[in-house]
Amino acid sequence: MSVLARNNVIVKGQRAARAIVFAHGFGCDQNMWRFVAPAFESEFTTVLFDHVGAGRSDLSAYSREKYSTLQGYADDVIEIGHALNLKNAVFVGHSASAMIGAISSLKDPDMFESLVMVGPSPRYINDGDYIGGFTASQIEELLDFLDNNHLGWYAAMAPTIMGNPDKPELVEELTNSFCRTDPQIAKHFARTIFTADNRAELARVTARSLVLQCSDDAIAPDVVGEYVHQKLSNSTFVKMRASGHCPNLSAPAETIAAIRDFV
Amino acid sequence: MTSSDATVVQTDEENIEDLYEHAPCGYLSLSPDGLIVKVNHTFCQWTGFDASNILATRFGNLLHIGSRIYLETHLAPLLRLQGYANEVALDLILKNGDRLPVLINAAERRDEHNQPLTTRLMIFNATDRRRYERELVDARTAADTANKALQDLNATLESRIAEAVASRLKTEESLRQSQKMEAVGQLTGGIAHDFNNLLAGIIGSMELLLLNAKKGRLDAVPRYAEVALGAAKRAAILTHRLLAFSRHQKLEPKAVDVNQLIGSMEELIRRSIGPVISLEVVGAGALWHTLIDPNQLENALLNLCINARDAMPSGGRLTIETSNRWFDDFSAKERDVPPGQYVLVAVTDTGTGMPPEVIARAFDPFYTTKATGAGTGLGLSMVYGFARQSGGHVSIYSEMDRGTTMRIYLPRHRGEIETPELAARVIRAAETSRLETVLVVDDEPTVRMFVTEVLQQAGYHSLEASDGLTALKILGSNARIDMLITDIGLPGGLSGRQVADAARLERSDLKVLFITGYAENAAVGNGHLSAGMQMLAKPFTIDELSAKLSLLLE
Repeated sequence: MSVLARNNVIVKGQRAARAIVFAHGFGCDQNMWRFVAPAFESEFTTVLFDHVGAGRSDLSAYSREKYSTLQGYADDVIEIGHALNLKNAVFVGHSASAMIGAISSLKDPDMFESLVMVGPSPRYINDGDYIGGFTASQIEELLDFLDNNHLGWYAAMAPTIMGNPDKPELVEELTNSFCRTDPQIAKHFARTIFTADNRAELARVTARSLVLQCSDDAIAPDVVGEYVHQKLSNSTFVKMRASGHCPNLSAPAETIAAIRDFV
Repeated sequence: MTSSDATVVQTDEENIEDLYEHAPCGYLSLSPDGLIVKVNHTFCQWTGFDASNILATRFGNLLHIGSRIYLETHLAPLLRLQGYANEVALDLILKNGDRLPVLINAAERRDEHNQPLTTRLMIFNATDRRRYERELVDARTAADTANKALQDLNATLESRIAEAVASRLKTEESLRQSQKMEAVGQLTGGIAHDFNNLLAGIIGSMELLLLNAKKGRLDAVPRYAEVALGAAKRAAILTHRLLAFSRHQKLEPKAVDVNQLIGSMEELIRRSIGPVISLEVVGAGALWHTLIDPNQLENALLNLCINARDAMPSGGRLTIETSNRWFDDFSAKERDVPPGQYVLVAVTDTGTGMPPEVIARAFDPFYTTKATGAGTGLGLSMVYGFARQSGGHVSIYSEMDRGTTMRIYLPRHRGEIETPELAARVIRAAETSRLETVLVVDDEPTVRMFVTEVLQQAGYHSLEASDGLTALKILGSNARIDMLITDIGLPGGLSGRQVADAARLERSDLKVLFITGYAENAAVGNGHLSAGMQMLAKPFTIDELSAKLSLLLE
């Protein structure tokens, strides 16, 4: 299976134009960008994709070993970039993908000229003076909750898969096509993200960057966004009016404007 | 419903208000930016908070940490993308710190510009359901695990069987190998022991011969030379037996009618097994011929019959049966012979039978269950060697206390048969003798010559046989025989002791003199000789022989 099929890569917009890649974070798939990406199709080549384990990606490509660090996800991004021959592109990453983009820019500095980080966090667990927003035990409770919430997860994320395991064609018709994730992979993705520490990589990023920080973000609080901005050598910090963790859904206009201003 | 409740419910509006506040579920309304703007009484009752504590806070603040992150990463995006979300499982944190598992249905209300106005949440107490689901999940996990284990088991079934078979074969092979080594050890040990005895006799005699010669006592020289010669000859007999076992014995195969051969031996066998054992010979009609050394088959049959006799000390029935057999590929492979046609000779007794461990070793050379001296341990191994060398097979079927069947399979031969040669001439000559007659059995012609000369000079008539079988044939005839002089170690599988015992069944007053090259007490019964039996150790003088003759025949 090709890289493009593996990651369900969808390319739209202006073929000869500069590329802008939108990457989703934990909990959803490329639908996360459905209110934002179309706004860039008139000027850019837009690239959307699903991380392996999410959306319509190839679940059989999943490897616990490869995806036990964000490096594995960044390797996929690089492979997609090579397949599409991306140069000096913009990488827009939400949540965990903000750091995946940062790591990708270290792996191939020519591929991404600019990084847009929406709700980034290099480390979620507090560490000495560093404030990540969560204690280690809180993260363990999160992972425990995900582990012990099979049916709630199935019901919310893939209800008809549970109801009709023998009739996948019915799933296509009846299930909402939003935010599909494989629960087992998602749980492992959560462990990878919430126990990661990519502060060292962050400090080495040289690409020009935009940090979009939401108000009242329960996942990535202000202090973390400020830390990211501080550590990046060439960054712009924008505090959004939008609240929550998903401005790309809750405040697409503000998000589009901020990105457009930056690129 | 209480009377006070009844007074509360008066108008439709009040009725709906009551339904909202006291419904068996929690209701929450959120502003577009996620703050709680309305909460019902049931929710407050469940959580223990006043409405004033709840209003204007974020719903996520009422959730356990895991649920809060799940809300932000999963429920919120889904709600925004889809407009609703059903049965999302979350954990509320109550005022007292406990957790309350709930299921949440959420729906967004939007204005005409598609802008979110409010989000309605309906919250069910899911304590029981979540526990039940937990049990279902556990059961399914257990079933999946069992199924996976079963699949793994099936997937590896073939290889595990192959592995088990290989391991079994390996074990059997190593067992066979160790048994082979044990047999080889037994064989070499037995050979070494026998040869040591013989060598001791030879060396000792030669030393005595040298000593006497040096002293000028030349009259003693022949005596010691004879002892040495006797021991050397026995060594030759031993190698002869070993060669028979190792299938290098020189066979003189002839086309043989086995029924006819058995018929010629029937009387001999009958005499050998004695009166308490009945003999039945069942020869198949149109029995095929086989190309074998008839003397060897006679030896083998006699061996089997004597073994059968020994297995029936208090009597029984001995059956000798012949038949034609056809081995297909499978049964031939089982017997390690080429497929095809075979003549079967089966010797069945109703005796004690053999346990499996004895059967397993019955063909091993020097293996014997008989008392020391009662058997050489070579009889069956020679039967086996003969059958194999003849292109056939021997098998044992035995049941404890029921009996044993020994089967000799010999390949079919399509040629003409020759009349078996018998010791008839000797027997005819002996029948007419009026003198006291002595049968001399020794495979060494010079010994027979010496003894018969002494006998003739003493006025006895003598007959000669070079092996046990010929001796038994003569003893089984009507010839007058008053005494048997026999060597202990004889070629052909029958010892002098066995010949004597067999002969005495018919000729109970037969005198017996054993002559032996060394103190072979053990071989004739640990020194316990029956009446009318004497032993004379080689070398012996004419006087010593004469003295024994007088002692026995007087």
